[in-house]
Amino acid sequence: MMKTILAVDDSGSLRQMLSFSLKAAGYGVIEAVDGQDGLNKAKQHQVDLVLTDQNMPGMDGLSLIKALRGLKNYQSVPILMLTTESGDDIKAMGRAAGANGWLVKPFDPARLTEVVKKLIG
Amino acid sequence: MIANDMSPSERLNAQVMHLLSGVSEHGDQHLAEVERDLVQMDVLLDEAIKKLCASFMAIHHAVDLQQEALDGLLGDGMQSPESVARIEALRGEIRQHVGAAVTGLQFQDMTSQLIGRMVQHLAGLRDVFGALDTSESVLPESNNEVLLATLSHISDRVGACCTERAGGVRSTVNQRHMDSGDIELF
Repeated sequence: MMKTILAVDDSGSLRQMLSFSLKAAGYGVIEAVDGQDGLNKAKQHQVDLVLTDQNMPGMDGLSLIKALRGLKNYQSVPILMLTTESGDDIKAMGRAAGANGWLVKPFDPARLTEVVKKLIG
Repeated sequence: MIANDMSPSERLNAQVMHLLSGVSEHGDQHLAEVERDLVQMDVLLDEAIKKLCASFMAIHHAVDLQQEALDGLLGDGMQSPESVARIEALRGEIRQHVGAAVTGLQFQDMTSQLIGRMVQHLAGLRDVFGALDTSESVLPESNNEVLLATLSHISDRVGACCTERAGGVRSTVNQRHMDSGDIELF
């Protein structure tokens, strides 16, 4: 059965590149334009992994992770942060919120799919 | 307007007011131009990335179809081992270039964040120039105390603008190149 990934980013081009890379690696992709949209879609579809940006209008990535970890069916789903930010403080906040990993933009599709494969096969 | 029949003190006061108004007006005009150009640049970059992504997807789809056709030709076993190896090598090269293009095409996500930050800083600077505006102030009389009071009022307004934006706009983009970023699993 095809694994599904929720890709949350307010940048259309970034979502397009994520979707392209993950679909090429054999994953299904659901796109969301910000944290709130991501939360709504995560409630509508049970996904296998969440990949989220941090800085988005409205609900940001950290808030989305906290909200997802509050849902019973997302307590153990891998969540990766994919963001331009790389500071130790914000990484620590991501980790405390429940992120499983931190990827700094821009991403390389081969390295991204390698990490995703490691987490969900 | 600085009239010739003013006393030296009145002329000084009027000159200070005139200078502040000029700095305020011209500073704001220049910043408005910079802001307009930045917004236009953001729009152009947004349109450019949409076109680049669409072309990239179309080229990738065409290359996929071409590779399928080549696979069909190779399947008949009539090609030399050298040709087969050459085609396989080209396939690997294409994969590498596609990966590099996907990484490069993420530039707009970063540039739009940087432009957004610049526009917010410009708005802060325009507020400061606005606070310097003395066009509505009554021309101080020859008494220097009045000028000092007016300057103090302006200084308070500038201070208030600075305090309002004291936190500034946090920098979220530190990348200086388009190589792929670090990955850390917790």
